[in-house]
Amino acid sequence: MFRQSLLKTIVILALLGGGVVYTFFTGYFGKELVIEAATLAILAISLDMVAGYGGMISLCHGAIFGIGAYTFAALTVLFGVHPLLAFAAAIVATALFGAVVGAITSRTHGIFFIMATLAFGQMAYVTIFESRTLGGDDGLAGVPRLDLSAIGIDLMNSTNFALFAIAALALVYVIAAFVLRSGFGRTLVGIHVNEARMKAVGLTVWHYKAAAFGISGALAGLGGAIAAQQTMFVSPELLVWMVSGTVLMVVIFGGIGTLVGPAVGAVVWVFLKHEISSITVHWHMIAGAVLIITIVAGGRGLYGQIEYMIENRRAKQKQPDETNVSPLAQERETHA
Amino acid sequence: MVTDWSYWAVQTLNGLQLSMLLFLLSVGLTVIFGLLHFVNLAHGALYGLGAYIGISAAAATGSYWAGFAAAPIVVALTGMLLYLGLMKRMRQAGPMNQVLVTLGLIFVFVDVFRLIWGDLAIGTAAPAIFSGRSDVFGVVYPTYRLFIIALGAIVMAALALVLSRTQLGAMIRAGVDNDQMAACLGVNVERIFFIVFCVGCALAGLAGAVAVPVFSAHPDMGTEILISTLIVVVVGGMGSLRGAVAGSFLVGFAQTFGAVLVPEVASLLIYALLAGVLVFRPTGLFPARA
Repeated sequence: MFRQSLLKTIVILALLGGGVVYTFFTGYFGKELVIEAATLAILAISLDMVAGYGGMISLCHGAIFGIGAYTFAALTVLFGVHPLLAFAAAIVATALFGAVVGAITSRTHGIFFIMATLAFGQMAYVTIFESRTLGGDDGLAGVPRLDLSAIGIDLMNSTNFALFAIAALALVYVIAAFVLRSGFGRTLVGIHVNEARMKAVGLTVWHYKAAAFGISGALAGLGGAIAAQQTMFVSPELLVWMVSGTVLMVVIFGGIGTLVGPAVGAVVWVFLKHEISSITVHWHMIAGAVLIITIVAGGRGLYGQIEYMIENRRAKQKQPDETNVSPLAQERETHA
Repeated sequence: MVTDWSYWAVQTLNGLQLSMLLFLLSVGLTVIFGLLHFVNLAHGALYGLGAYIGISAAAATGSYWAGFAAAPIVVALTGMLLYLGLMKRMRQAGPMNQVLVTLGLIFVFVDVFRLIWGDLAIGTAAPAIFSGRSDVFGVVYPTYRLFIIALGAIVMAALALVLSRTQLGAMIRAGVDNDQMAACLGVNVERIFFIVFCVGCALAGLAGAVAVPVFSAHPDMGTEILISTLIVVVVGGMGSLRGAVAGSFLVGFAQTFGAVLVPEVASLLIYALLAGVLVFRPTGLFPARA
């Protein structure tokens, strides 16, 4: 179950605050990294919502991210739609796509679910790859950024755009935390833990799965629309299944089912990738090795491991108090 | 041209050839799925390894057949090391962890290929006796591709025979059906697992070596064919030979004839097939376990 613990609050605030401070002190390239980390973190958080809490390991979140980017790009470049409207449309489109995928795949479990999401993601990839209107293999260039001059913000300035991306990340985290803390989020975790029991209680399970996937899709689409504005260019490469695999790696690396962990993972991932790529071209080998080590070491991830250790210690400190509880209550607890 | 029957005969042979290649790859994967409940995404990378070993062995000895023999052995040995070092301890870890660990392996393999064999596509020539063209029922077709079809058919028949007629086959079927019960009846399920895993890897390596004269090898080749292979396995139903055969033919022919008949949506076809099967028959067409 999700609980916005003090540790989570401290870490996410430190991450966001650190990003803002770093943005002011770094050069153009550093700001690009900040934006890349923020969009990846948005995508990772959206994936963690369904994967970590809902138990739905999606291999199509890269594709959803790409659909968000393409919806924004296509509407603005091809149809001249106002960027703000296109931004909203991108979120709606990915929410719908997510909800449909979530509804159709709701009967499948385990590896079959993973494969089904992979199929839908690849369908989106192939469709865009083959679409001549959408630029096919070449993608679409000349994607505009949001025009926020009405409130005095020029997003063509990279400092402003980096701050905008960080703000979006904060918003996405708050929405995700809010959803997971609500009755809906608790139900989602309940379905993950014991789907048969939730059905027996009288729940229409697929409604919840579809809705969760829709919300997650909307958040991923928001990230995608921001990514399209950062590079001002979209290509089908955004949707290929290995991107979804990479995002899943980021989530695991940071700590699946912790919501903060994936954001931490994304930031570490982007900066580590940049550092390692400047030394060797074999970043993927190192990334693969890191992933394998993370899983073999217990699969808790960077943040997840820290949270686990802190909570473990707290539980140990509490133990002396619990021995004072009457033996009967203790027995009742062990039988529960 | 389209009404010419020899055109369709060539397309059918193309479909058959792709199906056989997919079969060699997916049969190992499906039995590993069914028997070990293990999701091995690195299976595609082993196919790539087979291709590269085939090229290197052929280049070193000057004979295609050296690569043909070396690829399955080296890939099986690699698979053995992976199994003992990594996958054995992931057996009980659930599908997600297995997907992730083997995804990590893909990344490692692709970079190892780059490191050793470089970024560019490389190939090797077909063996001399199969290098020409043959006349099949009045249709001219590359002999080497006929060899792939024949090889696939031989492996298919041999596996069917082993699975249905030998004691080892009976033990494998028992293990797929109910591994705990099989273990209780005195079957050494762990050893069966290990044998099946190695044979599956060897077949993936063989498929790689056989594919090289037609498709040439590049670092991402394993990742590219992996998706088709997974679709074969899931569409066919995990763990059964019949499923692997049916899935290979469905995917192979859907890809070949899709490209001819409906080129606009051809590449969507196999994904639609997968999604459709998963929605209406969530465990595939011929699952080993009902």
